[in-house]
Amino acid sequence: MSNPPKPALECRDVTVKFGDVTALSDVAVSFAPGQIHAVVGQNGAGKTTFARVAAGLVQPTAGAVDVMGEEIRTGHVSQSRAAGVELVHQSFALPPSFTVAETMEFGATGKGGIYSRKSLAEKWQSHLAGLDVQVDLNRRIRDLPIETQQGIEIARALVMDARVLILDEPTAVLSPSSIDMLFARVRRLKERGVTVILILHKIREVLGIADTVTVLRGGRKVEGPLPIAEVSAERLANLIVGDAIAKTLDRHERDALVGTKSPVGEGAGHLENAKGPSVLSMKAVSTRPDSEGTALDSVDLDIRPGEIVGIAGVEGNGQKTLVRAISALADLASGSIRLAGNDVTGEPLAARRAIGLRIIPFERNVEGLSLTSSLWQNWSARELLQGRLLRLIRPSAVREACDRSLKDWSVHYHNSAQKAGSLSGGNAQKVILAREVDREARLIIAAQPTRGLDIGATAFVWQALRQARDRGAAILLISSDLDELFDISDRVVVMLSGQVNGEFRAPFDIASVGAAMTDAAARTSA
Amino acid sequence: MNEIIIAILRSGTPLIYVTLAGVIAQRAGVWNLGLEGLMIIGACATIVGIMLTNSILAAILIAIVICVLASILLWFVIDRLKANPIIAGLGLTGLGIGGTALAVQSIFGSQASVTAPFGIPKLGPAFGAYGVLSISVAAMPFVVFGMWVLLRRTRFGLRLAACGEHPFAARSVGANPSRMRLVALSIGGVLCAIGGAELAAGSLQFFAQGMTAGRGFMAFAAVIFGASHPVGATFAALFFAVVGALGIRAQLMFGDKIPHDLLQALPYLATVFGVWLSGKLRGGTKAASSFAELKDQ
Ligand SMILES: Nc1ncnc2c1ncn2[C@@H]1O[C@H](COP(=O)(O)OP(=O)(O)OP(=O)(O)O)[C@@H](O)[C@H]1O
Ligand SMILES: [Mg+2]
Repeated sequence: MSNPPKPALECRDVTVKFGDVTALSDVAVSFAPGQIHAVVGQNGAGKTTFARVAAGLVQPTAGAVDVMGEEIRTGHVSQSRAAGVELVHQSFALPPSFTVAETMEFGATGKGGIYSRKSLAEKWQSHLAGLDVQVDLNRRIRDLPIETQQGIEIARALVMDARVLILDEPTAVLSPSSIDMLFARVRRLKERGVTVILILHKIREVLGIADTVTVLRGGRKVEGPLPIAEVSAERLANLIVGDAIAKTLDRHERDALVGTKSPVGEGAGHLENAKGPSVLSMKAVSTRPDSEGTALDSVDLDIRPGEIVGIAGVEGNGQKTLVRAISALADLASGSIRLAGNDVTGEPLAARRAIGLRIIPFERNVEGLSLTSSLWQNWSARELLQGRLLRLIRPSAVREACDRSLKDWSVHYHNSAQKAGSLSGGNAQKVILAREVDREARLIIAAQPTRGLDIGATAFVWQALRQARDRGAAILLISSDLDELFDISDRVVVMLSGQVNGEFRAPFDIASVGAAMTDAAARTSA
Repeated sequence: MNEIIIAILRSGTPLIYVTLAGVIAQRAGVWNLGLEGLMIIGACATIVGIMLTNSILAAILIAIVICVLASILLWFVIDRLKANPIIAGLGLTGLGIGGTALAVQSIFGSQASVTAPFGIPKLGPAFGAYGVLSISVAAMPFVVFGMWVLLRRTRFGLRLAACGEHPFAARSVGANPSRMRLVALSIGGVLCAIGGAELAAGSLQFFAQGMTAGRGFMAFAAVIFGASHPVGATFAALFFAVVGALGIRAQLMFGDKIPHDLLQALPYLATVFGVWLSGKLRGGTKAASSFAELKDQ
């Protein structure tokens, strides 16, 4: 073999501009066939934009894209798909009312014709089975758990003979065990000869699965594709955030970010700070069963000022209901909730917020932000909703305050009148943080606060939560990332089937926490 | 009994055609409030077409062309000029009601109504009592079935629904939501033309100003009531027709005891009830949004 094989995907000096925002500038990169390539970079670095250019969803301002050595017409999904490029989106793109079989069919090309429900299910049964997606083909997308939806989105992308599969932050929505399953699936695709491009944030994941890694920063390619053997976690972290910022991280943060810690978490262990009467006190709280999740079953939980309490648990064991119960969005069957000494069991959310409850919700796109409203409107919602209904507001003053606050949180945005929906995923999360973590906050519920955030932003969020804690706020942190929980929690409470199944203090032992997460018999207290 | 069924089919058929037009638009993601306007344009064009060409076929073709053009105009305003679809639809309705009145006056002088010498051919004596119905009534079940197959049993239907429900998902597989909306509104234009033709030339043979009398809005209510399913919405439209026919019956029987206006309002009351019920049964719709979708616009 004298000449190397043609690259599976090659971008030649691709530039993308959205108005005056340059999302990608002169990116030239080529990916060898049959390998797993990782693309990393901070929030807003342009990873999603790169993926969309390859998939034909975004028309680049300049540059060209080659697939298997052939130039394709850019900006046409059908052209990219015909060349074999498929993209699985960061937030999945599946019509919620479709059944699984319909989802497969609508993405297919070639002969269609009139189908019946049965013939359609039969047609796609073997395709899904071949990819190890176990699901009833007549179930609707909206009724399926997130891991299954992802499996379906991948299967959807593979209905045609895909040769390049791009997955945009596929691990952000998954629990650790589902991530292992996803990676196994990706390795099987590699064996089948598919070139896989994974957009990732966690360095540990990059080192665990990829053959090469490419780093984007500020819309430019910094490095890559580098063979994975040639990069260390340290170097990768520096490449992502830039040397200047890398120096400001302390050892703890760096270890947690890189994910190379010993299995025994040291924990923050600031329990001596926690004093005074409880900010949150839940006594034997049970909720009425509803369609939105596992009901709580006599949950007792106390959080004192100056304490970060982490909630560990396999997703779907009542964590969401816990948040809903505290924020007055679930009906209580029994029990009582007190906030900062006030009985709020029957009080609405507005009253609880007035006492100092703040929420960083699970679903930032739906519950946290109005994507079609401007940044300053989103940012000012807290204050405006808490004040009197009839009150004069001066938009220019609100905008200035918003600008100041967003700058403090180093949100990358154009101006405060831009719609929240035009921010990159990580920056959107920072807008919520800027709104919810204020000086009057007494209890902050942080649900997956770093999901989808780059390593710099993650460190930033942790610092912010720690600072709020040191100011005397109580923090309830819900995360499926045990490294994160162990690193910043003072105490970890495990939930299983809507019950509290154990409470742990630093130093955390990953084995016993893990046991409590899965096994009711392991009800222990360290 | 036959009489009641005939009455229901007569009043129900135009409504069903227009409802199907609303269904296909709704599935493609357009709240088509221009149905009323398209229907009256179809009715007017058919009668005027008969007067001018002396051929029912030519008349219906003219109606179809005009309604499709009006639908394309609606698409252009919504999709290209980014106007609010509700306002644009209401605008088309206003244009239809006013424009047809103006057209009739300028062609036939100051007449409130125009009577044509003949209408859509009837089924004929071979069908017994039902022979008085027009052939478009007989065609209606086949059209409903055809729409059901097209929307619920083909890939085209899936892509159309995806364009309405999650345009970004549709775009991700290579569909063009904007073109899909154009196709959906154009097919709707054809159906509205037939609905209007049946209203003016099915059992009647004349056009009067404002003769649709809110049927387009009732069709829209049927779309919502029937969850934009072609068969469900057809039954919803039929339900409104049944209530209407019973209202007329009741007028004849108890006209002296119950206020006349109340009985006439029955179909409209049924419409309100139907929309309320459908909201109740299906629950509120959750805001479905994602960055991906928004960035798409
Ligand atoms: N449709 C759009 N209109 C305006 N700006 C956009 C649009 N899409 C992306 N951008 C901007 O382009 C930049 C790159 O965004 P992109 O979504 O590619 O980032 P990313 O690397 O995927 O970030 P994240 O990790 O947060 O998902 C950001 O500054 C973003 O605000
Ligand atoms: Mg992204």
